[in-house]
Amino acid sequence: MTKEEITQFELELLELLKNVMDPEIEINIVDLGLIYELNYDEGKGEVDIDLTFSTPSCPLGETIISNIKETIAQKHPSIYTNVNVVFEPKWSTANISEEGKKILGM
Amino acid sequence: MNGLQTNNAPHSSVVVPHFIFGAISLLVLAVLIILADESLLQAYFNTKLIAITHIAVLGWASMIVFGALYQLVPVVFETALFSEKLAKVTFWFSAVSVLFLSYSFWVGSYVTLLPYASICMFLSLLLFVVNILLTYKNATLKNIKSTFVITSVFWLLITELIGTLIALNFKFNFLSEIHLHYLKIHATIGLIGWFVLLIIGVGATLIPMFLISHELKEKKLTFAYYLVNGGLIVAVINWFLFKNELIDYLIPLLIISGVLFFVSFIYDSYKKRLRKKLDVGMQYSMLAIAAIFVPFILIGFIVLNTSFEVEFIYRIITFYGFSIVFGLITTLILGQTYKTLPFIVWLNKYQKLVGKTKTPLPRELYSEKIANIQIIIYFVFIASFVIGLLFNQLLFIKIGSYALLLVAILYNVNIFKMITHKVKSVEND
Repeated sequence: MTKEEITQFELELLELLKNVMDPEIEINIVDLGLIYELNYDEGKGEVDIDLTFSTPSCPLGETIISNIKETIAQKHPSIYTNVNVVFEPKWSTANISEEGKKILGM
Repeated sequence: MNGLQTNNAPHSSVVVPHFIFGAISLLVLAVLIILADESLLQAYFNTKLIAITHIAVLGWASMIVFGALYQLVPVVFETALFSEKLAKVTFWFSAVSVLFLSYSFWVGSYVTLLPYASICMFLSLLLFVVNILLTYKNATLKNIKSTFVITSVFWLLITELIGTLIALNFKFNFLSEIHLHYLKIHATIGLIGWFVLLIIGVGATLIPMFLISHELKEKKLTFAYYLVNGGLIVAVINWFLFKNELIDYLIPLLIISGVLFFVSFIYDSYKKRLRKKLDVGMQYSMLAIAAIFVPFILIGFIVLNTSFEVEFIYRIITFYGFSIVFGLITTLILGQTYKTLPFIVWLNKYQKLVGKTKTPLPRELYSEKIANIQIIIYFVFIASFVIGLLFNQLLFIKIGSYALLLVAILYNVNIFKMITHKVKSVEND
């Protein structure tokens, strides 16, 4: 893959992750701005994701992580997904996409 | 992984029985209120009303709170529950004790049954307290919210201790003052120390989480903590030792000021919320917080009573208890059930299926239509009781009683709909 193709693939993965919902807020994690980084390493066949939560004590954290891994594995069984949970920088409303704001009525 | 609490959550078999027992208790409570009839308008310490109060605060409210707390401990303390086995034993012991205690009150068996029932109740609550205290010992997160929760548990134990002493006194007659004096201390510590402090600790965690609001001033919670607890400590010392009437005015002032700091914290959270539209669970919760002002006004009447007739003051005291037990606690529990139980059931049934199959949303596990009808009928119940108690109108009490029965039936329908939910597995496209 060329650099452009990798970037394109990463964007496709992000689009795929729009299927992962926060079951409480009922918005997908991409529009909610929970994904800080997504990097695909073609050599290792791995994708690294930096993920945060709207609150550190989110009771659905593990469920969201499983959902991310399963969603990618279903479409790309050969890719291994690493999810790193980060709380820096702290999640804020500025992370929410325009689409997400519309759903929330902001 | 810091902050991820799903793995710490107890098995649903620890939590769900509490919701079942609580829901059935609400139904029993509604039936007892219908049967109690005009007793509800008589002196607040009559046997029927005392039995109803204990079914309400222990069988209904505390049972649901215990179940919810076992689930919320990982969120508030950031650690797993000390012992799930102990929680299951505590459930059965508490369930039998609540029924035994309420029956003793209902039939007025103060000497033959009540002392034994109260000892059972005390021991069962002691088991709960021990489990929570040992969990707190392992807590990785000790902040003002978890301090509220642990302090409320301490006050629960004191409430039970005083309650047991009153019950034993019916048989052995060793207390120096009349029962009503100790009943006042027992009720105040139970309602404010146990329920209100717990509501502040859990509410300050969950409400901003559900409303999705950030950057709130937690200092307000610290003020609330010291003021409410200060009020309770002054109350206990004064009522046991000095019995000074002037100090009696200071107690509600301290407690009300503290609660107002919490209300202000929740108001900030409401103003800064991301989710503008409130679902049925949050509608109930916000109403409950607003209803907190009713007992503030009533306590003024009670403390300043000089020229009111004694029957009127008795009804105002019943109304005061009603405003806390139903206006605040029950309203909040009805709301938070729709926020917590769907998640508990959803996590249990769908956690392993997310990403593999299309899963329903937690709120789709109950009927929103039933929940919305329930909230309207609940208003009818509250309004009828307020009129009935204030104006001594039995007809309104009866209308309210049947409205509560309908609320309890609808609530039970939704609870059992959630608990008996069958996994719907649809493969992803």
